[in-house]
Amino acid sequence: MKEKVQLFLDSDILEKYLLGDSTKEESLKAERYITMYPEVRETYNELQDNLETYARLYARKTPEGLKEIILHSARKERVASRKIYRYAVAASVAIMIFAGSSYFFWNQNKSLQQENTLVTNKIKYLEENMKNQLEDVRNQFIVLNNPDTRKYTLKGKKEAKELKAIAYINPVKKLSYINVSNVPNLPENKCFQMWAEVNGELVNLGVIKQLDDKDKLLALPYAEKAIGYITIEPEGGNTSPTVQNIVANINY
Amino acid sequence: MSTLIEKHIVSLLAEKDDKAISLLYDNYGDTLYGVALKVVRDEDLAQDVLQESFIKIWKKADSYDSSKAKLFTWLFRITRNTAIDKLRSVNNKSDKEVQIDVSDVYNLGVNGIRPEFMDIQENLEKIEPKYQIVLEALFFQGMTQQEASDELDIPLGTIKSRLKIGLRELGKIYGATMTIFLLLILLP
Repeated sequence: MKEKVQLFLDSDILEKYLLGDSTKEESLKAERYITMYPEVRETYNELQDNLETYARLYARKTPEGLKEIILHSARKERVASRKIYRYAVAASVAIMIFAGSSYFFWNQNKSLQQENTLVTNKIKYLEENMKNQLEDVRNQFIVLNNPDTRKYTLKGKKEAKELKAIAYINPVKKLSYINVSNVPNLPENKCFQMWAEVNGELVNLGVIKQLDDKDKLLALPYAEKAIGYITIEPEGGNTSPTVQNIVANINY
Repeated sequence: MSTLIEKHIVSLLAEKDDKAISLLYDNYGDTLYGVALKVVRDEDLAQDVLQESFIKIWKKADSYDSSKAKLFTWLFRITRNTAIDKLRSVNNKSDKEVQIDVSDVYNLGVNGIRPEFMDIQENLEKIEPKYQIVLEALFFQGMTQQEASDELDIPLGTIKSRLKIGLRELGKIYGATMTIFLLLILLP
């Protein structure tokens, strides 16, 4: 420990630190040694006293009027620094307002962009939907207008005597449609479901809703010698038709 | 310097009370002006340096830490560095001009010394010239130790040891300078 202190005192770091000539690292080292070791502190204090004594030897009377000039500029400096402080406050406020409004506009822009994407998607969806519907209507028109199209009128059996449906089948274009024009009222937990037997497999064509499907042509999958069925099923439809509940069938 | 006045000034500085500047000027102005003049060797420049130093002291007032340095040491560092910077910037602007100034001012300076400071030589004689030369070069001419070594043609190691011994030798002046302080205090 002693050696370390002696080594430090033998170096010129303390002297450089005294004059303000030391580097940052040297200053930190000097400050550490001064705080930690009394002998370094003592030497430092002695050097400080000697420096003052030495400097005082060269004291020279300051010129008349210099004190007033210096006091005046120090006061001016104080006012200036207050002004700077005020400017700093004003600038900070301006920056905050700017940051706040930037954030607001950024946020607004973001939500507008989201909305824009949403609207674009909606338009795309509608366009797609419309195309499909138009295609559907075109096909219906072709079928209905075609001289080869045959029309079958269906009447319900059993509980569904009121059920009336018209099927349009075109063997040339291989298209078939059905229009369920009247659906009898069923108990609340029952519904009509349409099926088609195509190449020996039963295909679910969906549930006929009470009102919406009136006057609407439903496309049927076309196959040679296919059979269409309408059954009464529990509400929501069934995965396979209940054979005993067949209320109508169409052979085409 | 009485530590009581020093403490008073330090507390005024910490409060940014501008009475501090006035007190600093009264108590240290002459010494700091002497330091500035010794470095720049021109009275006008020295006045500029003193003014700039006081502004710096005023601006940095709240950064003064009495545990790190005595008030005078802090003031000395600021003034010396300001003076050295000033000298360098003037030298950069025009080398020739300054050299003429230096020779003119040097004479003026010697003639202008007031009688109460005339015993500087007497006091300095207590210190061997080999130390004086090194102290002057490092304190007032803003030379680094290497520069002083080159300029004075003395090995760097010798510069280092002379600075160390010289600074310690300065303690010898202390007794003598007390009379100067008394003179300063008694001056109107």
